[in-house]
Amino acid sequence: MIEISSPTQQDKIIELLTTMTAGDITFTYKEKKGIALYFETNTDDLEEAAKIAKKAIKGEPWGSILYFRSVPHH
Amino acid sequence: MNFLTLWLEKYFLPIAGKIGGQKHLVALRDAFIGTIPATMAGSVAVMINALIRDLPPQFFDGYDGNSIPIIREIIGINGFVWSGTLAIAGIIFVFSWGYNLAKAYGVNELSGGIVSTAATIAGVTFAFSGTISGLSLDDAAVASINEAGWAATATDITAGGWGWIPLGNLNANLFFTAMIIGFVATVIFAKLMLANITIKLPDSVPPAVSTAFASIIPATIALYVVSIFYFVFAKIVPGMTFLEWTQETIALPLLGLSQGFGAVILVTLFVQLFWFFGIHGPNVLAPILEGVFGVAQIENVNLFQQGGTELVIAEGYNWVRGSFDAYSWFGGSGGTIVLIIAIIMFSKRKDYRTVANLSVGPGIFNINEPIMFGLPIVLNPLLFFPFLLAPVVSVSIGYFATIAGLVAPVSQQVAWVTPPFLLSFLATGADWRAPIVTLVAMLASFAIWAPFVIAANKVEPEAAEQD
Repeated sequence: MIEISSPTQQDKIIELLTTMTAGDITFTYKEKKGIALYFETNTDDLEEAAKIAKKAIKGEPWGSILYFRSVPHH
Repeated sequence: MNFLTLWLEKYFLPIAGKIGGQKHLVALRDAFIGTIPATMAGSVAVMINALIRDLPPQFFDGYDGNSIPIIREIIGINGFVWSGTLAIAGIIFVFSWGYNLAKAYGVNELSGGIVSTAATIAGVTFAFSGTISGLSLDDAAVASINEAGWAATATDITAGGWGWIPLGNLNANLFFTAMIIGFVATVIFAKLMLANITIKLPDSVPPAVSTAFASIIPATIALYVVSIFYFVFAKIVPGMTFLEWTQETIALPLLGLSQGFGAVILVTLFVQLFWFFGIHGPNVLAPILEGVFGVAQIENVNLFQQGGTELVIAEGYNWVRGSFDAYSWFGGSGGTIVLIIAIIMFSKRKDYRTVANLSVGPGIFNINEPIMFGLPIVLNPLLFFPFLLAPVVSVSIGYFATIAGLVAPVSQQVAWVTPPFLLSFLATGADWRAPIVTLVAMLASFAIWAPFVIAANKVEPEAAEQD
């Protein structure tokens, strides 16, 4: 599981990650807790998955100005 | 808070998003970032000189680094590094600006950098002149001086030469002119490239050649448009280059405005507000932070290299980009290293203490994501007030201490991950009083943070989460 902490644009983050395809890695939205969003991913390399998610969000026009955290959640 | 977030997402974020995602502003931000390898190398050179040349005389009478073997050589080598970096920071920036603008338009970046550089340099003076008056020269001396190519009378000598670009045209003074001319020239170039007004070569021609040829017409038109502008400008404003005019009418007033307490506080407040609501403040405000305060910083670094702290105090700027890092953003924006200490000292909440303990290490290097998102501070109504107020107070302490001459202005570019006291010490050219000012600012921040940490003891973690 990975955790994306962002107080804003949460709907867009969920939509982006659940519809994107980065190679074989996919993200499935699990739950929201405060400002944190949790996603299941089909890879064991959670560090890499968190990096891919962060890069994808930063690559969006609405995401480039966001201050958020993308980290593995064990 | 939820209502506020929704309101922000609807009205505020789109504006911030437009500013933060505006391609020209993104290119400007990236242009400044792109110069970092050079400006940081130059700053390291100036800083080493500060430590081995300027700091020791404060403690040892008669110390002169320039007369000590090895030290003297190191100072000389650092001089070369400075000459190739900060002394010509404007040139480095103007190329980076054109490169990033071209990239934003999706056209050849290298050509964009070249066009931007060529167009901007086309407008600077290539000559120098100077007059000495009040002399008493005999006829023979006047004749020999005139024969040598200078102009002399019995009382004056006017020396001049062509083929010299004054360093003052290539350093931080060039930035604002570069922003205007580099922008115009590169945008013309990019638009013509996109309109396909190019020379087309057969497919058999190597890509490097065909790319360069494709840029010829757009680059030539862009340079001619700018050159015609320079020509007309010279007719309208005789005796002044566009660079000099820009300095006088745009750059200096803007830099002057940035030195006011109101401007410094406003920037501080906005950065904090952006951070609190989950927006990267320095990214959105980069055109001001880097474009104005950053330029003032390069000016200070260059003044330091030329005349040490005394010259910075006499002719430099009191508040520059690095001043925020030195006196306010210790531990990261919000002065959060102080919050970590306050939590370790006063918090009875297990969740707070766990996050604080994990955040100490990164916090020492001014990385505060763990505490910003761990507590969290972001969107936490309980911590909104101190997060906003503490930096305002600490900035005020640093600002007025600098204005009052209690500490030297920031004159060195130091990497933001440098631990707090060392950062302000190095940033001020090794002024031992700077860490003391940082400590005072930290204590004031501590006094602001501590009551809120104590108050948080009475809030159940679950209740805080639901807020």
